[in-house]
Amino acid sequence: MLLEVLQGTEAGGFILLQDTVSYSGRHLLKSYISTALKREEEVVHVLGFEACEKEFRDGLDRTNAQRLHFHNAYSDPLGWTGNSAFTVHQFTLEDVSTLIKQTPQAKAVTLVIDSLSWILRHHDPAAVCQRLQALKKGGAVRTVIVLVHTDMHQRGTVGSIRHLATSVVTVAPGTRGLGAVAKTTRRTKSGKLMQDEETFSINEDLSVTIHSKLSHPGHTHVNTDETEVDPTANLTFNLRLSDTERQAKEKLALPFVFSKEKKSALLQPGPGSGRILYEPDANDDYDQEDPDDDLDI
Amino acid sequence: MFAELNSILNSSPESFKQGEFILVSDRQTDASFLIHHFLSFYLRAGCKVCFLGLVQSFSHYSAVSQRLGVSLNQAREKGQLVFLEGLKESLGVLLQGDTSNGTPALDFLRDPSSGLRGLYDFVHGNIRGSEGRAEDWGPPVLMVDDLSVVLSLGVSVGAVLDFSHYCRATFCSELQGTMVILVRCEAEEEEEESDEGSERLQRGLTHQCSLTLQVQGLPTGYCRDIHGEVEVCWRGRCDGLQIQRKLFQYKVCDKGTLFFARGTSSAVL
Repeated sequence: MLLEVLQGTEAGGFILLQDTVSYSGRHLLKSYISTALKREEEVVHVLGFEACEKEFRDGLDRTNAQRLHFHNAYSDPLGWTGNSAFTVHQFTLEDVSTLIKQTPQAKAVTLVIDSLSWILRHHDPAAVCQRLQALKKGGAVRTVIVLVHTDMHQRGTVGSIRHLATSVVTVAPGTRGLGAVAKTTRRTKSGKLMQDEETFSINEDLSVTIHSKLSHPGHTHVNTDETEVDPTANLTFNLRLSDTERQAKEKLALPFVFSKEKKSALLQPGPGSGRILYEPDANDDYDQEDPDDDLDI
Repeated sequence: MFAELNSILNSSPESFKQGEFILVSDRQTDASFLIHHFLSFYLRAGCKVCFLGLVQSFSHYSAVSQRLGVSLNQAREKGQLVFLEGLKESLGVLLQGDTSNGTPALDFLRDPSSGLRGLYDFVHGNIRGSEGRAEDWGPPVLMVDDLSVVLSLGVSVGAVLDFSHYCRATFCSELQGTMVILVRCEAEEEEEESDEGSERLQRGLTHQCSLTLQVQGLPTGYCRDIHGEVEVCWRGRCDGLQIQRKLFQYKVCDKGTLFFARGTSSAVL
């Protein structure tokens, strides 16, 4: 689904590209621009706040470069040095429209904002949402692509922009150090939501290769966990006995069990051992019937 | 200057990558040894260095650099080093209270909401001012120790990020120089939810920078032979490769720092 979003099979719309410090979404943004430039009638306008023009154009195909209009908001976005091409305060419907009208012959205009985090730092989020919505509705722009660093904003701010978007792509680093994971949520015109999770990598020429799909990651994880596990599989000791082992075990005499030999050995007095001789005294009144007669109980 | 770190970063005073923004951050430990490293490195490389020392006095940096074999006094006299001594200057701004004396660089002390434009103008003016004169210094370098201290002086994270953006546009992109910024992260984990703070500043700067050196104390606590861990992280810019990480442990010695792979300290082996 990432490829479908990149290739813009569904014309128009608002694509939100979310990234964090652990994986930058700018490469994916550039590969979108590169595919957009390959389409003949497309003109791309970039509001570049975070990368200079040289860095941004680096890697993009030079043959179509004249259809990429870079508006430099990088070197002086706040008007401190007085040589700014575009300041963050110019992010209004009128100013952006005049920028786009510089190419009146264009059939399809794509507006790229790199990144919206810069604008959100200097404008009220509600105003930003309104202007984005107005741009989308205005008709001058066919597609708006916006990069946002989600870890720089409060959740609610990003959430309100997500509501505007027709497609949301969230990038994160891949689990095994290879490639990256993109979570794509797409809303079709009928209002149906489609979600997909894919691992991808970006090649030298900014084309995107999809490696695998994890369409329902939650379910697959549960299934792998539920497979029957044999607890006796990897024991360090033996639970079963072979026949020889059983015989050896039965032969063994346990130390505190009386066998016949042991009993007789203990009861047969050996030579020279002591004896008790009892000779009744005259005073002894030994009663056979009641041997305990002399006890005073 | 630590030779081992140079080989890790694949740079030397004779040849180093230009246009880099190096972010040094520390957590539960002190990463200023890296600032001393970079200061002596760029002075040796013959760069024009603009140093914003906001947390220590000039004599402190001078004493440490002396040990690393670089004289800050000489560099300052030659005009190679521009040193803003934040502690001294701020006293002037706060005590006298009138704008006539003292640099406008520290105007944010009086009115934190005005942002760091004064500080940028100071940096910019110093670099631009030197351009007209004999070009005997290499590409300009901006160093800040440490940037997170302005947060506690009342400046908002957004204003600091604006400042660093302008510095990056000037130093890294326009003049092909280098920027080294140190930030301190507070250790509190629960701070993450709040929108203002050193964590957010560090994330914002990480989005801008091209190389991060993240210094952390050992999770197991203090150790005599291993002082902590450094995570070196190259953030791919133009080449398709994204982020490349390497993790080292280090020990700060008298005249240098030892770096070694995890678990290969001489005390362990």
